[in-house]
Amino acid sequence: MKPAPKHQRLVLVILAVAALIGAALLAMWGLSDRAAYFRTPQDIAAGRAQVGEPIRLGGMVKQGSIVRQPDGVSIAFVVTDGPADVPVRYRGIVPDLFKEGGGVVAEGRLERGNTFVADTILAKHDERYMPPQMGNIQAERQTRKTVAQ
Amino acid sequence: MHRFANPARFLKIARPATGWLLALGLVLSLTGMAGALFLIPPDYLQGETARILHIHVPAAWLGMGGWTGIAVSSIATIVWRHPLAGVAARAIAPVGATFAFLCLVTGSIWGRPTWGTWWEWDGRLTSMLVLLFLYLGYMALAAAEKERGPDGRAAAIFGIVGIVNLPIIHFSVQWWRTLHQGESIGVAGSSIAPSMLWPLPLTTLGFSALFGAIVLMRMRTELAETKVEMRLRRMATAA
Amino acid sequence: MNQWAFVLAAFGVMAGGTGGLLAWSWPAMRSAEAKAEALGKRR
Repeated sequence: MKPAPKHQRLVLVILAVAALIGAALLAMWGLSDRAAYFRTPQDIAAGRAQVGEPIRLGGMVKQGSIVRQPDGVSIAFVVTDGPADVPVRYRGIVPDLFKEGGGVVAEGRLERGNTFVADTILAKHDERYMPPQMGNIQAERQTRKTVAQ
Repeated sequence: MHRFANPARFLKIARPATGWLLALGLVLSLTGMAGALFLIPPDYLQGETARILHIHVPAAWLGMGGWTGIAVSSIATIVWRHPLAGVAARAIAPVGATFAFLCLVTGSIWGRPTWGTWWEWDGRLTSMLVLLFLYLGYMALAAAEKERGPDGRAAAIFGIVGIVNLPIIHFSVQWWRTLHQGESIGVAGSSIAPSMLWPLPLTTLGFSALFGAIVLMRMRTELAETKVEMRLRRMATAA
Repeated sequence: MNQWAFVLAAFGVMAGGTGGLLAWSWPAMRSAEAKAEALGKRR
């Protein structure tokens, strides 16, 4: 007995959808390196960034590293992902969420000597939300983990 | 499967369902939004802006859920030649597109005070924008095809192909480093404190019910218009 | 505060967008069904 045409069509459609999704996932997975929105201090330490090349640097603002310059608009701080650190210089206004122990993405260029000069500073937060009284202690412990991933 | 192929049977259920979904949706979404605005505490880090989560997440869910509906209808169109499937897909498209757009806009308004930018080309934001363009493409294709005939094969194929974008949106925050944070709610639980989370099911259910009500309204509109057209044609040939 | 301006803008856009869809779909359905009804009775 021949299968009903609608069954044939169903099997064809399911196969097509599966093949399509498989191909797309494979392509996306292959792209994962190039489609990364930012690079980490470990990438920089491993030499995966050219001096002068415009890149984004992401990580956590190291505790105690923010230094405000006397001119009032320049700051210096250190971006860390745990194993590696990159010092950053920036002139301008930072977002409200930019603080020590918080996530950050800096757009700019790497200078000789592996100092990063940022044109833009963005704050990156994680997926946890909690009321103020639950406090920052628990928060900062995990920010390190989230940002470095 | 073809139980609802007869529009009369479909309408018998759709007529009362439209009103019920509309009422339920209005009550739930307004309650949820009021709770999100006035009753939950601010976030320890973001402050008041975290309240936007309670509308941004339902908008994202419905933007993606809408395309799932289009894809399922498209499969029903191609496999079973179900006569109502095309009507459903055409009814869903502009509604899903609106919610995808609302997701992008509320996200942008949220991003400015928290991240410090209205827009960044990261994996999550870009793939969501692609979804909006897919909707616009689908709507153009479906409209063009409807002019020519009721079959709608090309739009259905487009609806099925477009579904690959949904896992890309979902997993973008895992595959790539993105500015957008990871998922707050997954199978393992939620990383939102319960005292801040409770309006989310209300707004999600509420806007979903409104989505359903609007889709039913649009389906009923198209069915009524088709009825008028056919009757006029019959009257013209009889005369 | 300034933060509330963003919150209210976002909620306003969401409510306006959904309300707009309703304000567009509901009258369209009513008029289409009324037309169909009227034509059905005329026979």
